[in-house]
Amino acid sequence: MTPLRRFARVILAILRELADENAYRRHLSAHGRTHSGAEWRRFSEERLRAKYARAKCC
Amino acid sequence: MKLLSHLLWGAIAITAGVCLGGIALIRGEHINSIWLVLAAACTYITGYRFYGRFVAARVMALDDRRATPAERLRNGHDFEPTNKWILLGHHFAAIAGPGPLVGPVLAAQFGYLPGTLWIVIGAVLGGAVQDFVILFASMRRDGKSLGKMAREEIGKVGGFIALVTVLIIMVILLAVVGLVVVNALKGSPWGTFTIGATMPVALFMGLYLRYWRPGKVLECSAIGFVLVLASIFGGKMVAESASLAPVFTLSAIALALGIIVYGFLASALPVWMLLAPRDYLSTFVKLGVVFMLAIGILFVRPELQLPAFTRFVDGTGPIFAGKIFPFCFITIACGAVSGFHSLISSGTTPKMIAKEWHAVPVGYGSMLMESFVAIMAMIAACVLQPGVYFAVNSPAGVVGATPAAAAATISNWGFPVTAATMAQLARDVGESTLFFRTGGAPSLALGMAHIFARTGGGAVIGFWYHFAIMFEALFILTIIDAGTRVGRFMLQDLLSHVAPPLGRMTWMPGVILTSGMVVAAWGYFLIQGVRDPLGGINSLWPLFGISNQLLATIALSVATTILLKMHGARYAWITFTPLAWLVTVTFTAGWQKIFSPLPAIGFLAQADKLAAAGAASAATQTLIFNARLDAGVCGVLMALVAIVLVDSARVWVGILRGTADTHICEAPFVPSRLQAEEL
Repeated sequence: MTPLRRFARVILAILRELADENAYRRHLSAHGRTHSGAEWRRFSEERLRAKYARAKCC
Repeated sequence: MKLLSHLLWGAIAITAGVCLGGIALIRGEHINSIWLVLAAACTYITGYRFYGRFVAARVMALDDRRATPAERLRNGHDFEPTNKWILLGHHFAAIAGPGPLVGPVLAAQFGYLPGTLWIVIGAVLGGAVQDFVILFASMRRDGKSLGKMAREEIGKVGGFIALVTVLIIMVILLAVVGLVVVNALKGSPWGTFTIGATMPVALFMGLYLRYWRPGKVLECSAIGFVLVLASIFGGKMVAESASLAPVFTLSAIALALGIIVYGFLASALPVWMLLAPRDYLSTFVKLGVVFMLAIGILFVRPELQLPAFTRFVDGTGPIFAGKIFPFCFITIACGAVSGFHSLISSGTTPKMIAKEWHAVPVGYGSMLMESFVAIMAMIAACVLQPGVYFAVNSPAGVVGATPAAAAATISNWGFPVTAATMAQLARDVGESTLFFRTGGAPSLALGMAHIFARTGGGAVIGFWYHFAIMFEALFILTIIDAGTRVGRFMLQDLLSHVAPPLGRMTWMPGVILTSGMVVAAWGYFLIQGVRDPLGGINSLWPLFGISNQLLATIALSVATTILLKMHGARYAWITFTPLAWLVTVTFTAGWQKIFSPLPAIGFLAQADKLAAAGAASAATQTLIFNARLDAGVCGVLMALVAIVLVDSARVWVGILRGTADTHICEAPFVPSRLQAEEL
């Protein structure tokens, strides 16, 4: 893999982490579930509740 | 090979020294911004390679054979071993807020040199060390929060005071960033429409993510970004429309009330509807703009127009009153040392570190990156003509209420500017006026627009100005709604001891009551700032800086206690030195803000001056009360932190004498089984 492609993959992975998409994948794999609208909403509610219970930096 | 390495590091260190020396000593000519970029970058690289790694190896004794909490407690949610570069991006996005952008712009009133040196040196020796040591301590303690570590390492008092200090900082922070947005949008139909349009865009994104394309956050954010860009063009049309422009031309009070109502709604509504989609969008826009600004500065290499020092080093500055020491060092908190970072370093990040050595780039490196953002903000402010910079940032109460009077006052200071120049500039960016736009955001947007426009043609400066305003307002509003919600949770937690139903997150009357209380608290300070004849920033920003740095003193006290327990006095200087500096700076600044006999600086002197002027109208009585309230808040913060310091000193003396418990509350060593390919 060229350094540029590797860099692009890292950037995309960072964006996916920031977008909670990686966390969602981990959630599906940890619980052995498949993607669905209801599953996303379940994950998202739990994730966002924890996320916005913490202070955001200035 | 070793010789080559020595030569390379020697060259980087020499470049850092030469560039720092250059910006410090060159006088009488404009210097190129690339000097600042090189000085900062080479100092960061040298600091990271030698100081950061020294602390990691000798002081913390990081050990990759030791399993981190992410590995031992892995649960697929909070605790998850994460690739170090991904975590670095995640941590950087979490710590980078408006602080490193606004603080340096305000501190540029002293000239480019004091702020630049503080940003670079403060970050390498103070801010990055604080973030790194707290991250390390939390990582060795199963991801415990700063409050819990303070309770365990110092005592119960420290933990409780950390909680109360955070709540007070939140109130001041939300008020001051709200004021920054108000001052950027007042009388600006273009900006107001653009920011207003982000709310239906966020609602659309919320529905899109929840019902139409669940889980497609990146796709949804890309659509949101396109819609926000379209709203900038829409804002231009609104500003040019005779019928629509008056609707979106709002006074400062109207905007402040709008932000207060928005904060309340965003805090009480389900997060998926408004807060979360907006947060996703603002995070991506923030990272993209920071990256664009770095590229823009490297590409354009603009010359700095502000001098190394201005006449306002004597403390008579129009943006905020007070001398370089201590006010430069509290005006720039984020970007050099920010106590708030210790909450992030003891929050999500320590639960995601896969290997202990990853804490070096994540903890130390991320802070250096944020410091570099502050350097870019300093450059963006300093590329403006000094007269323009002061015309935008000075309040009418200081320079005169009309453009002609303000231009004359600023020109008399030695920074020539005319009302006609400012009028032309305002027309170029699609605004009715750029005078008295205090708060830092408009001048930062102007500087950024200058840089961006030079890379893409001067005709688009209006677009870039409003793009920059949109970028700043977008993530400031995200901080307001997220902060209000966090404040609500803290308050619900505290009040649940008195009235248990108030602690229930799903009990709507409790949610509405506590949201209202938090919004009322920061809303009061916001309205106070809007009504302040000196522009509000003069009183609120120093209060915010003092409170943020006081939180850093709590974090560094915890860090010093831990280092003393680990090594005795041998390495305590690493955290004690920045702690001693911050205590000196913040307590001096706090004392001056309360007791200085100069009304422009001291809150009590300001109240006395207003009282002595007679004519005690209701408005004057409110101003007097506000000045005394600010003095009270400042005093309470100083007293709280003094208690933590005394408590810490008691523990330190005990450790050094051998009479105190030196037990380190670290999790036991468990060998790591994590394979490299898992990352």
